Amino acid sequence: MKKTVLDYALKVKLPFTVFIILTSFAITYFVAKPERDGVGYAPEQPVKFSHRLHAGDMAIDCQYCHTSVEKSRHATIPSADVCMNCHAVAKTDSPEIVKLTQYYKEGKPIPWKRIHRVPEYAYFNHASHVVNGIDCANCHGDVREMDIISQVHSFTMGSCLDCHREPQKRMPQMTGKLNNGPENCNACHR
Amino acid sequence: MDNNATKPRFWKSLNLLANKPESIESTRHEFRKGVTDDFDLNALPDKSRRKFLAVLGASAAFAATACTDYPDKGEIISYNKKPSGVIYGHANYYASSLNSGLGILIKTREGRPIKVDGNPQHPINQGKVDAIAQAAMLDLYDPGRVRYPVKKSDSNLLLHKDDMPKTDWERIDKDITEKLKAASQSGKEIAIVAHSVKSPSQEKLFNEFVLKYPTAKFYTYEVFGNQNKLNAWEKCYGNKNLSVIAWDKADVIIALECDFLGTEGITVEQIKKYTSRRDFDNAKSFNKLYTVEANYSLTGANSDYRLKLSPEYQYDFIMALINEIAVKKAQSAVNLDDSAMTKIRQYNLSDFASKFGLHADKLATMVDDILHHPTKTLVVCGNSLPEECHIAVNLLNEVLGSVSNVYSDKYEVLHRPTNTMADFAQLSAKMKSGNVGVLIHFDSNPAYHLPHEIGYTDALKNVETIVSMIHIENESSEGSHFILPVNHEFESWGDFMLRNGVLSTQQPVIAPIFDSRQKEAVLLNWMSEDYTKYNHDIYHQFMKAHWQEKVFPAANTFSSFDEFWYSCLHDGIFTWDELSIPRAIINVASISLTQNTLSKSGFTVILTKPHYLGDGQYANNGWLQEVPHPITKVVWDNCAMMSPATAKKLDVAYGLDKLDKISDMIDLTVNGKTLRLPIMPQPGIVDDVIAVDLGYGRTRGGEVGTGVGFDAYTLMNKSGNKIYTGASVAKAGESYELISSQEHHSLDEEFVKDFHYKRHIIQEYTVPFYVEFENKLEEAKSRLKNEFGDDREAYEKALKTEKTHLLGHHEYQSHSVYPDKEYPGVKWAMAIDMNKCTACNACVTACNVENNIPIVGKEECGKGREMHWMRIDTYFSGTPEEPITSVQPMLCQHCDNAPCENVCPVVATTHSPEGLNQMTYNRCVGTRYCANNCPYKVRRYNFFDFRNDFKDGYYRMDTLELLNNPEVTVRSRGVMEKCTFCTQRIEEARSAANIKGKKIQGSDVVTACQEACPSDAIMFGDMNDPNSKVSKLRNHSLGYHVLETIMVKPNVTYISRLRNTNMEDTHSGH
Repeated sequence: MKKTVLDYALKVKLPFTVFIILTSFAITYFVAKPERDGVGYAPEQPVKFSHRLHAGDMAIDCQYCHTSVEKSRHATIPSADVCMNCHAVAKTDSPEIVKLTQYYKEGKPIPWKRIHRVPEYAYFNHASHVVNGIDCANCHGDVREMDIISQVHSFTMGSCLDCHREPQKRMPQMTGKLNNGPENCNACHR
Repeated sequence: MDNNATKPRFWKSLNLLANKPESIESTRHEFRKGVTDDFDLNALPDKSRRKFLAVLGASAAFAATACTDYPDKGEIISYNKKPSGVIYGHANYYASSLNSGLGILIKTREGRPIKVDGNPQHPINQGKVDAIAQAAMLDLYDPGRVRYPVKKSDSNLLLHKDDMPKTDWERIDKDITEKLKAASQSGKEIAIVAHSVKSPSQEKLFNEFVLKYPTAKFYTYEVFGNQNKLNAWEKCYGNKNLSVIAWDKADVIIALECDFLGTEGITVEQIKKYTSRRDFDNAKSFNKLYTVEANYSLTGANSDYRLKLSPEYQYDFIMALINEIAVKKAQSAVNLDDSAMTKIRQYNLSDFASKFGLHADKLATMVDDILHHPTKTLVVCGNSLPEECHIAVNLLNEVLGSVSNVYSDKYEVLHRPTNTMADFAQLSAKMKSGNVGVLIHFDSNPAYHLPHEIGYTDALKNVETIVSMIHIENESSEGSHFILPVNHEFESWGDFMLRNGVLSTQQPVIAPIFDSRQKEAVLLNWMSEDYTKYNHDIYHQFMKAHWQEKVFPAANTFSSFDEFWYSCLHDGIFTWDELSIPRAIINVASISLTQNTLSKSGFTVILTKPHYLGDGQYANNGWLQEVPHPITKVVWDNCAMMSPATAKKLDVAYGLDKLDKISDMIDLTVNGKTLRLPIMPQPGIVDDVIAVDLGYGRTRGGEVGTGVGFDAYTLMNKSGNKIYTGASVAKAGESYELISSQEHHSLDEEFVKDFHYKRHIIQEYTVPFYVEFENKLEEAKSRLKNEFGDDREAYEKALKTEKTHLLGHHEYQSHSVYPDKEYPGVKWAMAIDMNKCTACNACVTACNVENNIPIVGKEECGKGREMHWMRIDTYFSGTPEEPITSVQPMLCQHCDNAPCENVCPVVATTHSPEGLNQMTYNRCVGTRYCANNCPYKVRRYNFFDFRNDFKDGYYRMDTLELLNNPEVTVRSRGVMEKCTFCTQRIEEARSAANIKGKKIQGSDVVTACQEACPSDAIMFGDMNDPNSKVSKLRNHSLGYHVLETIMVKPNVTYISRLRNTNMEDTHSGH
């Protein structure tokens, strides 16, 4: 039987093309996944605040600033007056504190860049997690080691459900029996 | 035991009753005709604008995606200095008052009001507010509000508001104070037109203004006031202290053309008190409501017996009733002198009844009831009836001797009597002759409200300076020289005293959104020595001073004034015991029983108060425009309501006789003025009576309100009366698209005409039947106990069978194809008590506000695309002449075997472990299969992004974003939605319980509709908790599920309505 051009195209060219397309898609998909999920996102903040210095070296409790994390859906970014509790006297001549003081005196809010975000149609509740003993670091990473805050874990529905389904596996440091998180839609979407 | 013939037949509309094929055809379709017409791409020309835009949009989107910094997640803006008491994500509640004087609690999130409900501590409205107040939130954020003060020069008097030059307040204050001074020096009148005064501080301000500017004169009016009632009261009792009615104390209520459950008086209080005597657990103490009326009002629809009577004969009827009771039966608590007796004797009830065709049996029952409970019978007379009717009613109540029972010891405080139409005619004359120097519209709209015969609008041209203090441009501000924006009630200070011993406070919960000022503060500033020293606090200080002087001493407290003041503001209310003034004794001799001033000729026109538009001032509120009229279900319009027989006589029709939703127009001529408007045949209206809602047809009512409906104020003559005889009607030969939602989302199908009754959608019994049933059930219980002894299961089963038989239902066996699912924790359920629901629509509006439900507009409503998650279904039974109305709030039933769930191809609607039927918007692709499969027709589809679609994005403008409830997703185009049982409130309660280390309880959650319901007809909770109200009602003999037999296992229980009628008067379910 004579080999035709068509045979060549079907047997060699087509599988080859499909293979190339699939491989490149797979590589791009997996390599780009963290970036799509925002992992590693660490934009420059308006005031160069270091979590390593405050939460790590000085061991200030997270809740000194993120006050409503045990009370409300939102952990909240502190208002400028919370910073000024100390910085009215501490390190007032450092250039970053000068910036901070200026915001405070002008009565302007500080436009902090948002790092961690879930979509508007998902209603994550900080209080429900924190009061049940889930550590901030489980989602936010160890901020005590970060000079510039960045996203460590992905914040997709899959990541939420991984933990809701197998909390013990995801949070091995937690002792005692852990209840699974809810998996019904209305727990997060309403 | 099948005796269907005796059972009531329900019907939804006249066309369906008459088996009109078009009507039946239209109920067959889930989505109405025309839904997909405008999406036919092939019908579009090749180079359509739409296609071009689609391509342009797509390429722009690609370009944008390619070029953006897509990882950027925006910013988080925190406070600079966080106010104490604010927790991000938590609501704060503030007690305040509406301008109507009712107490409210305003829910604010991060400083913006998002929801309003009644203040539970307020003694008058007791934690409830009506639909209008619920929707007031939209008025606050209405983008059409006047945003800054404007001074118009002669050249720009008629400019549209967008073109108006901005002026600063200081310049305006300077100009106006100069004009005021000039007017008072030259002796010209300064006329201020305001609504009736309910506030003591405002009254003080008015008096002080007159001291400063001696030529100032205040004119107050109220379109739907109670002037006739008040005048009659004064003539009978010699004072103006109108007693407040204790609605819960009357056993028999006779309402004469009085819509106390719908539009007259403080309806929320009246509904609450009236329905408190409709407790099915205490069926023997049910009150009995008779209505005698011409228009088919909401009160008439809720009554046990309704007699039809044209308003001209009401006076004769009352007098005949007095004759029947005082003379014939010789039962009178007061001595009637000879002259009164002579007059009364002229009226004879039985003659009257036969002459005007009153239903003899109903009338006999009524007289019988009165004679049995004379001291507990309350007769009330509608505000629109003339003074002599009110006098006769006062006399009738005295004759019955019920006044000490049915009137409370509180009286309505009259701060300042409203002016008569004659006063306004005089004002017009003065304006015309140039004797009015400055005219101030104090948040009022006389050019629209006053009868045109008075000539107010023409007279405006001769006034040198007109100042309009307004929210939204209106008819009176047209041609004004100064337009001053005023604060909304949520941005204002105030105090209100509706009754003696009850003072409620009003405090701002948000700083003025626009460059507006409080209207009282504006006057106060013009009175001050230096108007440049204005600040937003001046009226607050003025009010505080008044309280310190007048109210604080009455408090008789040891605390300081500041403490007292803050506690009053915190509570929103201050009450004190005042030595009650004993009600004056009626002086029968001095009452002049006059003749009837109305006489029948031609057609009778009744101008009624619209249910949701106030006197027309809420015309720009889309939510209120879209709430269906509770009787006709007409949205976005008013119409001439008439009986089907009258419509036939006039050869006019509505709806499917012709094309879908098309109504014939008539020319209605009264007092020499003609109005062309569409008609609606409404069963139950007296023949030759035409009822028209006022408050529509605004010519300058804002972007939304302008041009909606027809202005019936034009029909009034200078008396300002609401009832006119001698009208003539001609068929106009024109037709009009009138939208009534009555046939939308119908649960019926063409081949089961008696669907409602066969499927037990409405189940009703009479009180005597139910009392007998309870006795029989007790007997059966003891009998079965003996029979079965300890075998609990067999006993329960036998009892259930017994109950079914006693109620006259068929027992049915049906099995679900699904296995029963376990709900180990909380299971959410709702119960709706139909004995208490009056169809006031407060729940519907509260749901709209709570759940960010968009406004779709008239055109989309016509296609059946209204988005309300909750609706009130109306079913009629009886004949078109004597209809009996049954209402039923309908919302997602959260079925255990939800038919919507298993048809969703993308699993966007699922079941929660707590029995909620969940809707996940971000998963929905819009197949609409679920809506098609829903037997209750409660799913709503976003055919558009309605906020963009309605009026070119009117409700998409800047301020409206502040309105949204942040706990509920704002849905976009192509997504299905429906009632969630307020899942956001459940989750909030769960989180709160979690923080306290507890499990969520059924009693932790109150849904928005439940919170709003004035009669507490809606109950919500955990049906797994045997002590909860819902679980008890679920197993109650009167509890039933709609469409029970299709085994979808709904979680909403309806409690059968008991009608307090005699057993033979139909409506028994057996």
